[in-house]
Amino acid sequence: MKVGDDMEEIWRLFPDHLASKLKQETMKQQNPLEEIRLRIGDAVELIFLNSIVRLDQYHFTSEDSMYLLNQLSEHSLYRMQQELKEGYITTTGGHRVGLAGAVVTSSGTIKQIQHITFFNIRIAKEMKGIANELLTYLRDGKTYYNTLLIGVPQTGKTTILRDLARLISNGHDQIPSYKVGIVDERSEIAAAYQGIPQHDIGKRTDVMDACPKADGLMMMIRSMSPDVLMADEIGSLKDVQALTEAMTAGVTIFSTVHGNSLSTVKKRPTLEKIFSLKMFSRYIVLSRHKENCFSFQVVNGAGSIVHQGDLQSS
Amino acid sequence: MKIIGALIFIMMTTWIGYDWSLQLQKRTKQLRSLIYSLQLMEAEMGYTYAPLQKVFSSVHEKTTEPVSYFYKYLQQALTESVSDFSEVWEHALEKLLKQSALKQEEAAILSQFGKNLGNHTFLQQEKHIHLTMHHLKEILNNATDEQHKYERMAKSLGVLAGIFIVLLLY
Repeated sequence: MKVGDDMEEIWRLFPDHLASKLKQETMKQQNPLEEIRLRIGDAVELIFLNSIVRLDQYHFTSEDSMYLLNQLSEHSLYRMQQELKEGYITTTGGHRVGLAGAVVTSSGTIKQIQHITFFNIRIAKEMKGIANELLTYLRDGKTYYNTLLIGVPQTGKTTILRDLARLISNGHDQIPSYKVGIVDERSEIAAAYQGIPQHDIGKRTDVMDACPKADGLMMMIRSMSPDVLMADEIGSLKDVQALTEAMTAGVTIFSTVHGNSLSTVKKRPTLEKIFSLKMFSRYIVLSRHKENCFSFQVVNGAGSIVHQGDLQSS
Repeated sequence: MKIIGALIFIMMTTWIGYDWSLQLQKRTKQLRSLIYSLQLMEAEMGYTYAPLQKVFSSVHEKTTEPVSYFYKYLQQALTESVSDFSEVWEHALEKLLKQSALKQEEAAILSQFGKNLGNHTFLQQEKHIHLTMHHLKEILNNATDEQHKYERMAKSLGVLAGIFIVLLLY
């Protein structure tokens, strides 16, 4: 059940008549499919790397959405309590389905999403080897620096983090392998389905799936003795607090944050502590070109650029 | 010759009477088994959050036939990709009706239940299970009354009706 070029995991979510239309449209395109967006009563939208295709002749119906939900939950929507609260479902193959609709709240907290009308299927991409080139700049001899990846959505932060996890835990070139722990709050890095990672994240990697970062980081340190800890998208003060504690515990941290440059990220009040304490010695700032490549800048703790270039999956 | 014929005739009516009373017995037993299976289903859903297929397989193991066959059929049907679950449920229900002493009355309730199974969040699903159990319990009560009333009568009626008709024909 690993991710491949196999799109069957996606097509099986749709009723036959729709699946065949989607397949046809995807075949016509040169670029890989990134997202399928569905809105009840509206045309199906396919987002490819460089283009957006709307299937105007077909409108997504509520029967289709029932079908989709049934396939996603294996005819057992009652299991999806947590997922309906979080707003996304991870499927086999590691693809993520984001949901939106009417939200039911109870005393201020979200209970679940009801009347799900909007779907966003994000096709998981696994780009093995994409972080190969980066790794040389992220280590001092045989130890890794604490590293923060910075980029706006869809610039490959998570994809790169995942490949870093794989390379670090497998070991590469002359560098021995390390124990890697991933706290995967949004099930994006490892895309675990019922606890089993759907992506290749390396042979010495442990995953705490769907776990709040702050708690997960401490749980990992206490119980799994990782050398390197990874967590996606730090944002809250609590996350920063937990990262600080993890670092003082002697664990190397890899993390990501939303932002388009190092200077804008530095301005975020919640992240202030990270920079004042100089917690990270390497920042990777990612941006994306039109073509299928990511450009990156590796910046050291003092703020000067160590290296820059383009990443291409090999 | 006549006597042998008469005896065979009486034996037949006796057998029909016994079968009738047996059906009454079976129905209450199977209704109880059904209610129990719904309780199991609720527990499986609530504690393990297992998908329906796993729920069916564990209910199948814990119930007696013919109700267990019903769940086995459902479990096997779900091993393949199913587009419309309520269709599968209907089909399973038809088979159950043929194999058991259950009647159209309870089948209608189960059919309604099947339409809602798996389409709701746990709390709603739980309500549907409770409602279905409530209905089934009512039917069980009536069926038990019926059983007490007619069980013995059915047996003796078979024998007596046989004798009566034989006497008439003489």
